[in-house]
Amino acid sequence: MQSDDVARTVAAQIGERFLGLEPFPRTAGRLRFRSEAALPLFHTVKEQLGFHHLSMVGGIDWVTHREVFYVVWSDDRRQYLLLSADLPAAAPHIESAASVWPAANWHERETWELVDIQFDHHPDLRHLLLPDGYEAHPLLRSFQLHEPEELEVKQRSV
Amino acid sequence: MSSLSLYGVSFDLVHLLLTSIGSVLPYPLDAWITNGTLVLVLSVLVFAAILLAASMINTIVLIWWERKLLGRFMDRRGAMHVGYAGLLQNFADGLKLFRKHTFKPAEADTLGFFSGPTAYMVTSMILFGVLPISTGWNSGSLPLSLLLALAIFSFAPLFIFVSAWSSNNKYSLMGGMRSAAQMIAYEVPLLLAVVAVVIVSGSFDLTTIVTEQQNYWFWGPLFLALVVFVAGMLAEMERIPFDLPEAEAELVEGWNTEYGGMLFAFFMLADYLRGLVGSFLVVLLFLGGWTMPSWVPGALTNFPLAGIFWFLVKTYLVFGLFVWIRASLPRVRTDQLLRVGWNRMIPLSLAAVFLAAALVTVKCLPVFGCLPSPGV
Amino acid sequence: MWINMGPQHPMTHGLWNLRVKIDGELITDCDPEMGYLHRGIEKISEDRHYNEVITLMDRTCYVAGFAWEHLYVLAAEEALHIQPPERAEYLRTLCEEFQRIGSHLMWYAAFVQDIGLMSPFLYGMRDRDLVLDLFQSYTGARMTYEYMRVGGVRNDLPPGFTGHARKVLDWLSDRFVEYDRLCLGSDIFRKRCDGLGVLSAADCVATGVTGPMLRSAGVKRDVRRDRPYAAYPQLDFDVAVADGADVTARYLVRMEEMRQSVRLLRQVLDWLDHHPGPVLADRLPRWLGAPYAPVGKEEYVLKRNYPKGVGFSSIEEPHGEAQAYVVNEGSEHPYRVKFRSPVFANLSATRHYLVGYRVADIPPIMGSVDICVGEVDR
Repeated sequence: MQSDDVARTVAAQIGERFLGLEPFPRTAGRLRFRSEAALPLFHTVKEQLGFHHLSMVGGIDWVTHREVFYVVWSDDRRQYLLLSADLPAAAPHIESAASVWPAANWHERETWELVDIQFDHHPDLRHLLLPDGYEAHPLLRSFQLHEPEELEVKQRSV
Repeated sequence: MSSLSLYGVSFDLVHLLLTSIGSVLPYPLDAWITNGTLVLVLSVLVFAAILLAASMINTIVLIWWERKLLGRFMDRRGAMHVGYAGLLQNFADGLKLFRKHTFKPAEADTLGFFSGPTAYMVTSMILFGVLPISTGWNSGSLPLSLLLALAIFSFAPLFIFVSAWSSNNKYSLMGGMRSAAQMIAYEVPLLLAVVAVVIVSGSFDLTTIVTEQQNYWFWGPLFLALVVFVAGMLAEMERIPFDLPEAEAELVEGWNTEYGGMLFAFFMLADYLRGLVGSFLVVLLFLGGWTMPSWVPGALTNFPLAGIFWFLVKTYLVFGLFVWIRASLPRVRTDQLLRVGWNRMIPLSLAAVFLAAALVTVKCLPVFGCLPSPGV
Repeated sequence: MWINMGPQHPMTHGLWNLRVKIDGELITDCDPEMGYLHRGIEKISEDRHYNEVITLMDRTCYVAGFAWEHLYVLAAEEALHIQPPERAEYLRTLCEEFQRIGSHLMWYAAFVQDIGLMSPFLYGMRDRDLVLDLFQSYTGARMTYEYMRVGGVRNDLPPGFTGHARKVLDWLSDRFVEYDRLCLGSDIFRKRCDGLGVLSAADCVATGVTGPMLRSAGVKRDVRRDRPYAAYPQLDFDVAVADGADVTARYLVRMEEMRQSVRLLRQVLDWLDHHPGPVLADRLPRWLGAPYAPVGKEEYVLKRNYPKGVGFSSIEEPHGEAQAYVVNEGSEHPYRVKFRSPVFANLSATRHYLVGYRVADIPPIMGSVDICVGEVDR
């Protein structure tokens, strides 16, 4: 299936906030969008375009700004689609995809704790890989790898 | 022949020893040393020491036997390096456990935590003294020895539960609960299967039961009872497929999760002691004890200690069967186990009892052959 | 009552903690707690040369090192615009399929152990050793291979390898029959596994579950077929599916996958026999780092402004769909490396397939998920 209908459908749904579909090798392309359109875009991509499987959520710290990207898969098209949005470096936040794809839950928890991107309305935004109460976000470029960190782990109350 | 018992031998031994010592001592001492109470106490101690040594050695050899057999089933060799074919491996392991620090979790209940494994061990040892291994190797006449053995055997859930509960560990508690439920559920079919044997042999005395089998082992006519008994024994011994009280996949080590060092060794040894006793009982009740069929050439049955030899051979073969089962079956689930216990085993054991009663009434069944005249 | 199954617990097969809330023996809630093995592989990668990251990939999933190496080199090659030679692609396919067998055998061993079957545990380990012996014969290592390179593989196969490998495949095919007899032939096994841990196809897709777990629900999705990479477009195989979506179905899918791997490997071995050639691309940038090429191939000029690029790869790892996202900003080090671990997603759905069963069902169910904590925590 061709991927131009992806651009058309998304443009029809979110209009101005759709920033274009870049070609990306062996996928349906990389779709760039403005972060405030996240939820309508997710719904469009899942329900109208048939990308039912969310396989990855990740974040990149570009120092000047942050990027959050999603990889979704459609069984009918047999194609991946990459979604990506730029977020401001100060207080980056985006709507959580967990209400659309429940699979996003853990991926967003991980992205939040490692790259410091806030996911609004996430059902359960807790630490996943790092200990509870860990303040730093290791995958930021500003995080120094060479200095051992003093860890203070709070006792979990059960 | 039957008056000669292991206890009698040790009594005579002690008596002989003390009288010979007493004969060279002056007046007040010789009377005191040959007095009946002292002889009695000392002979009990000697008897106990012999039993302890025999049971421990047998248990440890049994563990070796299981390890070797299990190794072969798994396409490996088992213990190989300590002693010939790894025979001394278990002594080394025991020594290691003995050297270990005995500790108690801070939250555990001291009395229960220590008395549980000890009592479990002790009751399992007592069992050993009740069972006749061969003519002469017993504690004298115990007319209800079978009943006594089974009664002591069924103490275990209590002690397991005490030690599990006092460990103050959730896994231990769950394991203890499962253990109690399982042992109580399987006690009933086990006893009913024994009733079948008692009906046919007409006695609760294990020695009599074996003599009844002199030329006719019970496993043929009482095959159903044998199956029920072996399955119930597996559950009582908590071996795969019924080892769910200590199912390590979900409960870590079940009721002995918190135990280490010598206390763990107590559990381990007592488990194998019970395995040994279970195999003994199978041999005594169904496989003719120390007797051999008459078609076996006399040279094979008449050498000294032949009874003990054949008894142990049978026991180890029966235990080999348990190991074989362990090597090839997965573990069942608690609810499945209990359902099988109450819904299948009890009707089966009742059928076995019924069959035994029919056998005694008819005296002669075309399929199974004829019984010797039942004892009184 | 909440109980902690882990981080040291026989069921977990690695360092993680499954917290389950139980009512008697019934599970009413659960909450997996990860991170005990978090080594920050993604962060460390930002400080490494491209080829040095491969060392970390072996440690990502310690039972499927080749699959992760492959995943990473595919993404890195895309980001660096490097094309590996064809023979290298076949060699990688060989590695990945043998690794799939090795990983599934490890799963088999651990799984049967979980439900109390003692002997097949050793049978699985014994047969996995044969696969590891093969790995050792051409990589020198049994677990951490460091064999693949950005732009190809490190070295070719030793002489006589294909014949030996075929013998191993013959042996394994016979053993699979034995495994099935041991497990499916046992009533207790079926009683322990049938109808447990059911996760319907719709739930699988919604929660992002992939791999054998997804295919056991009847969804025919396999990256090797849907988005073929390496030598898979030229090879012939079937996607293993089953229905039932329970523990038994997952067992069946993995067994069938091993058979399909044997079938794939026979084709790969035949191809390798008849197509000698280079196994590493010519003209590789020197700064790829680490000893990467035979002497004499290192003449490529150091070029600071190497074209930028983003690489994305997706492979069918033994546990499911694994993905890598590599950002190349024109320096010696990857700017950002992000991995998707299939087990990570499979574990995140724990609540959907664990609640409502019994404590005794946890080992078979979690065993059927095939957990490798190394790749969850990374």
